[in-house]
Amino acid sequence: MKNSILLLKTLLLSTSQSNIYRHTKEKKRRGKVVGAYIGLACLYAMLIGYGFAMCLGYGAFGLTDAIPVMGGLVICILAFVFTLFKTNGYLFNFKEYDMLMSLPFAPETVAGCKFLYMYLKSLPWYLCISIAMMAGYGRFVHPGVFTYILWLVLSFFLPIIPMLGAAFLGFIIARISTGFKKTKIVQTVLTMIFVVFCFSIRFIVEDMFRNDKVEATLEMISDKTDSAARMYPPLKWFADSVVGRGMGVLGALLLIVVSVILFAVIFRIVGRSYRNINSAMTSHAAGRKYKMTTQKMRSVTGAIAFKEFRRLTGSVTYMTNGAMGILLASLFSIVTLVIGFDKIIATVTQGAPIDTALLQPAIPFIIYFFIGMMSSTTCSPSLEGKNYWIVQSLPIEKSTLFKGKMLFNMYLTVPFMTFGIICLCISAKASVVDSIAYIILGIALCAFSTAWGCVCGVKHMRLDWENEVEVIKQGAAVMIYMFPNMFICMGLIVLTVVLGMRVNHMVLTLILTLIAAGLAALSYLRVMSLCRRMQV
Amino acid sequence: MGTMLEIRNYTKTYGGDRKAADNVSLTVESGDIYGFIGHNGAGKSTTIRAVVGVLDFTEGEIYIDGHSVKNEPMECKKVTAYIPDNPDLYENLTGIQYLNFVADVFGIGAEERRERIGKYADAFEIKDALGDLISSYSHGMKQKVAIISALIHEPKLLVLDEPFVGLDPKASFTLKEMMRQMCEKGTAIFFSTHVLEVAEKLCNKVAIIKQGRIIASGSIEEITEGHSLEETFLEAESGNEEQHITS
Repeated sequence: MKNSILLLKTLLLSTSQSNIYRHTKEKKRRGKVVGAYIGLACLYAMLIGYGFAMCLGYGAFGLTDAIPVMGGLVICILAFVFTLFKTNGYLFNFKEYDMLMSLPFAPETVAGCKFLYMYLKSLPWYLCISIAMMAGYGRFVHPGVFTYILWLVLSFFLPIIPMLGAAFLGFIIARISTGFKKTKIVQTVLTMIFVVFCFSIRFIVEDMFRNDKVEATLEMISDKTDSAARMYPPLKWFADSVVGRGMGVLGALLLIVVSVILFAVIFRIVGRSYRNINSAMTSHAAGRKYKMTTQKMRSVTGAIAFKEFRRLTGSVTYMTNGAMGILLASLFSIVTLVIGFDKIIATVTQGAPIDTALLQPAIPFIIYFFIGMMSSTTCSPSLEGKNYWIVQSLPIEKSTLFKGKMLFNMYLTVPFMTFGIICLCISAKASVVDSIAYIILGIALCAFSTAWGCVCGVKHMRLDWENEVEVIKQGAAVMIYMFPNMFICMGLIVLTVVLGMRVNHMVLTLILTLIAAGLAALSYLRVMSLCRRMQV
Repeated sequence: MGTMLEIRNYTKTYGGDRKAADNVSLTVESGDIYGFIGHNGAGKSTTIRAVVGVLDFTEGEIYIDGHSVKNEPMECKKVTAYIPDNPDLYENLTGIQYLNFVADVFGIGAEERRERIGKYADAFEIKDALGDLISSYSHGMKQKVAIISALIHEPKLLVLDEPFVGLDPKASFTLKEMMRQMCEKGTAIFFSTHVLEVAEKLCNKVAIIKQGRIIASGSIEEITEGHSLEETFLEAESGNEEQHITS
């Protein structure tokens, strides 16, 4: 126990921004720490605002009883999905593995502490949602002080079970993968299959909450939150204890005890195979079978793009995060071919009487919703990490380096964007000319995503990371990329609907393409300007 | 003098068929400075990582101070210190924070650790930098912190993977002197190196590994038979016949 606390404390200290602030002598680095804190505070405030606004909505429609379950459900889903993406990087394959395992720590202690570290790092996000929901609930119900105390205490336990579930799944995937020669490939494929499965479940659950009529939906929400609580008992335990119905405080006790027991059991199991899994992941033998053949010559940007490709495919965490969008886009496109464009639109518009032909120019945005969720250019500058010296010492202009990174993202996204648009156009029976115009719009959107991602990646480049998850999943660049990208995309969709009724498809698509290309060009120029300002 | 490290028929297989270490056996006694030499990719680091309990292995047994690395890893780690070839330390801790972490793990008292850290930090001329973040250190400075962290708990077995890489000449000399002193006190030292002159001058025993197999092992005198270690190594490396010398 003493060793676990010591290790956990050290893990937290080793990534603490305040420790860097206290001990660094570089003014610029201190400024970055302050900037990171301000950025984080803004994101927390946004999350609290979003959670509170959601509660106001529920309260206004008289659905206050559903708030605890809804809050718990949001936290549990987020905790499960995010942990699934992060498990591989945090629990296995981390760079200080040799150092830690050579010290007298039991494997289950190392694995358990790594999990607790991951939990504590993500806890503030979940607390923001929970506290906002609690405040919203309190505004309508005016419960006693005990409810607030219980809600606060249970907020700390609510994400544990889903996180343990995701971590255990990550462990099983890693354990299965170690039985194969190509451990990383098998692990990536299994993780992707599972994430796609989870997304499908998400859509099924979302569909449960949907109905054709607004009033009916509102009536159904209460029933559906109840059914969610029945499907996942910890939600019921949480809701019962804070609302003071059903099991009452016993629910709180159950949630705490089950979380603790599950943690102990899971990490006992993980500990048994921990060394075996890490051995398989971190050790590789040289084949010694290589025969020198004709070598292919590439341009400098092409060579950088190829390096980026190898970087992506060489990391399970990068691959599952970076390539998930294109995988989901491809699956969605194939599904649309099978079930039809009209049905998809009907699901999105909740059955509202909209002419689907009007929405055809939105086809590129539907695919972009998946493909644009992540751009490899947001994290690839930071992922250079300690290897940055290689490109620094080579006679490569900074602009060439980032052009190579952008080229790779275009190679990665354009084929899938084109494939997706073709599938949707076939399904929507769009004309050939319209389809070509949509493909051009799609490519412009890919260019925007690539260049805007690169602006964020270069501006918030961080090379001193301890674990690649820090820049792939939690990096400032990734966070900053997401919101403007989302707002611009939504803005263009609104424009599509508004203008769609007034101008013809071709003109509308041309306007949208010009806007997307313009934004891409502006972002590209910004990257070039940032490159010129970079000292080394 | 007792056996501190015993590697018995250790085999590590990758991907089911490729053997990185094949039936490796050697014994390191208390007070030995045992050099482990071989070309790049011969299996030195694979063997060392298995000895310190970092790497799982396929066949064989490894005992440290009579305890099995497989079955009693904690007992083994308590008496062992390991310095990897490229120390990945916590970059955002200061040197002193990292050393305190290792001292805490081994339960070193406040006064003892102050004295030991002070002594070793002085010897390696890094005392003034201990308050700085490790991320600001050079490779050699990181290596020095890793060495101090290994010495801080006075291990019975010191395992080092290429310890002299990145060290300045003075630090390199200091480390060699420390290794000799520790050896006189009964500590067993097992280390890999490519610097054959160092191995020849410092070690009382060496093992040569080639493609995962020990091709020669024993005392320096038995191995070299009057030649230099460099000549012996090159001859053993180029020879097709396996040469097994055991002391």
